[in-house]
Amino acid sequence: MDGDSSTTDASQLGMTGEYMASSHYVLHPQDDDGEENMNDHEDGGTKENYREQDIYLPIANVARIMKNAVPQTGKIAKDAKECVQECVSEFISFITSEASERCHQEKRKTINGEDILFAMSTLGFDMYVDPLKLYLQKFREAMKGEKGMPGVAVGESLGEDLTDDGFANPLPAGIITADGQQQNVMVYTTTAYPQIPTVQQIQFS
Amino acid sequence: MRHNSKHQASEAKKAISLPISRVRLIMKSSPDVSSINQDALFLTTKATELFVQHLALTSFNNRSQTEANTLNYSDLAKTAEESDTFHFLTDILPKKILAQDYLKTLEQMQDEDSDF
Repeated sequence: MDGDSSTTDASQLGMTGEYMASSHYVLHPQDDDGEENMNDHEDGGTKENYREQDIYLPIANVARIMKNAVPQTGKIAKDAKECVQECVSEFISFITSEASERCHQEKRKTINGEDILFAMSTLGFDMYVDPLKLYLQKFREAMKGEKGMPGVAVGESLGEDLTDDGFANPLPAGIITADGQQQNVMVYTTTAYPQIPTVQQIQFS
Repeated sequence: MRHNSKHQASEAKKAISLPISRVRLIMKSSPDVSSINQDALFLTTKATELFVQHLALTSFNNRSQTEANTLNYSDLAKTAEESDTFHFLTDILPKKILAQDYLKTLEQMQDEDSDF
């Protein structure tokens, strides 16, 4: 039996004497290219070789966004944070493969912004599209000012300027309401998704 | 004017609270992905932030133990199960059971078998 299925089976059967949180999964080392540990999970000795699908965003960042999203008095269990961390990687892969497919169909090699937005629309995240377009616009304007050139795709290297600086601020996560008004985007917590009845609508003027 | 755009640039940078390089790494681990332009990378990173908020809040509001005020793994699993948007997560969010509950269920099933 190969590594993948045994991990899945174990998690579904819960055969240890406690809930199996993801950090307790035994990860089977693959013959790997010695990729550095990207996981930020506590996990004794099995840190060396992770499969590609085990790359996650840092749990501190994820946890902070979650904390800001729920009501102030709310708490988040540790296994919930780890779980969302995994869900995030799943989400990114989900969007990326859809976008990549469209790219290939149109005989292009580089995934662009439109591919991403289209993928989100197709996969049921169309409520993100309008806010994202606005964020992108602001981003492009800011970059234009700094670099002195129009918002042209300069490839991945420009992304480096923005990396790993993730600890600057609480997330400005304003959602623009669907009536298309330009509104101030600098907001602190949650989200207005018109289609989602359980999520509170927050309007900003 | 210059001051304004410099300010905007630093605001834009602060507006992202996830490491873009890590997002890129995850994207590149998808099969057949050759290159990703800057817009796509930015949009994906931003969308990921929205996704985390969306998932956390929906699950929190949807939680089974409302008095506890705590978001648990099971709340997330429940949301994935019940929501169309988050249904793609069901494979990685199996509902967990305690080993003793499982063994009890197994015992019951065996008892039923032995009745025949």
